[in-house]
Amino acid sequence: MQELLGRLTALDPDASHGLRVIACFDELVLGNVGTRALLSAAAALAGCPAGFQQDHPPLQVRVAGTGDLLPPAPPPAGVERVDGQVSWLDRDGPPGPHDAIIVERLALALRIRHGRGRAALADRRHMAVLLDATVPVTARREAASALGVRGERRSCVVVAPLFARWTAHPVVPEDVVPSPHGPLHVLVVPEGVEVVGASPSGTSAPTAVDDLPRALRTATTALRLWDEGCGSTSHVDRFGGLVELLVDLPDEPGSSGDVDRLEAVVAHGWGATTLEALVQAASVRQAARLAGVHHKTMTARVEEVTAALGFDPLAGYGRARLGVAWLRWRLRHSRVLDLPAPHRP
Amino acid sequence: MAARPRFDPELRAGLAVVGGVFPPTITPELIPFMRRSYASPPLEESLAGRSVVSEDVTVEGHGGTPITVSVLRDPRRSGPRPGVLYAHSGGMVFGDRFSGLDMVFDWVERLGLVVVTPEYRLAPEHPDPVPREDCYAALVWMAQQAEQLGVRPDRLVVGGASAGGGLAAGLALAARDRGGPALVGQLLDCPMLDDRGLTPSTRAFDGVGVWDRTSNETGWRALLGDAVGGPDVPPLAAPARASDLRGLPPAFLSVGEAEIFRDEAVAYASGLWAAGVDAELHVWPGGFHAFDIFAPHTALARSLVAVRTAWLERLLED
Repeated sequence: MQELLGRLTALDPDASHGLRVIACFDELVLGNVGTRALLSAAAALAGCPAGFQQDHPPLQVRVAGTGDLLPPAPPPAGVERVDGQVSWLDRDGPPGPHDAIIVERLALALRIRHGRGRAALADRRHMAVLLDATVPVTARREAASALGVRGERRSCVVVAPLFARWTAHPVVPEDVVPSPHGPLHVLVVPEGVEVVGASPSGTSAPTAVDDLPRALRTATTALRLWDEGCGSTSHVDRFGGLVELLVDLPDEPGSSGDVDRLEAVVAHGWGATTLEALVQAASVRQAARLAGVHHKTMTARVEEVTAALGFDPLAGYGRARLGVAWLRWRLRHSRVLDLPAPHRP
Repeated sequence: MAARPRFDPELRAGLAVVGGVFPPTITPELIPFMRRSYASPPLEESLAGRSVVSEDVTVEGHGGTPITVSVLRDPRRSGPRPGVLYAHSGGMVFGDRFSGLDMVFDWVERLGLVVVTPEYRLAPEHPDPVPREDCYAALVWMAQQAEQLGVRPDRLVVGGASAGGGLAAGLALAARDRGGPALVGQLLDCPMLDDRGLTPSTRAFDGVGVWDRTSNETGWRALLGDAVGGPDVPPLAAPARASDLRGLPPAFLSVGEAEIFRDEAVAYASGLWAAGVDAELHVWPGGFHAFDIFAPHTALARSLVAVRTAWLERLLED
């Protein structure tokens, strides 16, 4: 893993590889792995042994970068002891470029593993608190204040995968937070001031501090609907009030008859282009132009879509049903957060 | 999309780092990037602190073209030792003879094996049969030079990971069909066996993990060209197509539950059993492709290494 981090730096010296370390430990915490696994990851990332000692109950563990257990040994002099716990790297020679972040994340993960952090909000990072709707609003306001997010000013939430490409990176509060879709890089950007150049990313509408958890969810949904056509960021404005609706709807197969029926349409080679054209266009003729086919071809496809869905997608509520079902289908099949965009040479 | 098992938590964490070096989806346009990102580090770094020496030899590859092979041995050991012809990973299109070989260095050091790793030529510049036949030429050379190499000719194994696992399976078939070197085993780590891409697991991991369906199509199409997936692909190139697996050496197969090669590895093991061939099959829960190469520090990888080493020891002990 240390070697992989080294290669990453060689391939892309400008990228923030500390974020990958953070994401790595976030996944370990979410996965509820044990002390040895946490120390193994730290040692593998650092390329030298990692250790942990706790006073109560007494525990001393050291693990090599291979994941093998080493004879226990006390921590080196001078390492910080917090709450009767201490985590460290046994490095001979100068520290590695990621040592500080590795030890910080290791210590945090071990605190949680040993029951000292799970319940205590103080141990969670401010951004995660600020954006968690289940946290009382007073605690969220405190977190906002600690982050420098001012209460009298609205902010946008910008979310990006860890593997986004950055062209402009303003100095605003940011962190990596866990989500059901994996770790997300989140920024809270004051309204109308800063430009974030991250591709792909999702951007919420400007929001008051108390509503930022909701803004995170809408920005994440917008990100999952990102495509090449929307530039670097997918703004919730593209979908207006629909995003408000979509954040609360389930994705999984079986959750919607309309979406399930769309699967059969998309199975055709022409399916996705046709559905997108039908959603965008005001008429069959315009849809044919958008999809680049003859309007007789489009008419035949509309008939096939109508047969598959069981309603006319161009009449009455059929238009709204198709639009919502199509966006839900795209969310169900979104790969924006699955796919680490490779650093193209 | 087919349902898919979750990744093991330690491995999922590892993907946060692995994904930057080895993206899940590799298209033909990414081959030049992969050749840089998956190139092995300098050998002196990999061998630092190890009792392993490497000697380069030029041998005749397919069609008489010279290729380099490296002979890895532990200088503390003397006398004829068991030998492994090892084919490296890299989807048939990238990697070099030292890519992903850390575990192989362990075999040299801990088990005293002599390993020959050929710099087989890569597709698409060198399509089938060049990669396999380069390896086969190295295997024949290894058997013929056994005495000079300090290798026991009655303890020869072929092995490889991923593309190299597919090549190793092809070598075992070729050695049987041609009356070539006698093999006592074939070690097939997460092997790339089937160009047809029809199994459920092939379709279940699009865009996640290491080596998805698109990556696999990139590798197979580079190797086989327009013949890929069609009726004329020879079993030596895609061993999943072999209809007769009788008379093959005992096999070790290991594959992740959460990778596209799961079903073809299980099917190959079933085929070997049906043909009366010994096969030891391990399917690792939550394992992504080649997780032992990318995340050897994890509990799952350490388990894999332990059973694989035990298999080699049983097969090759003095």
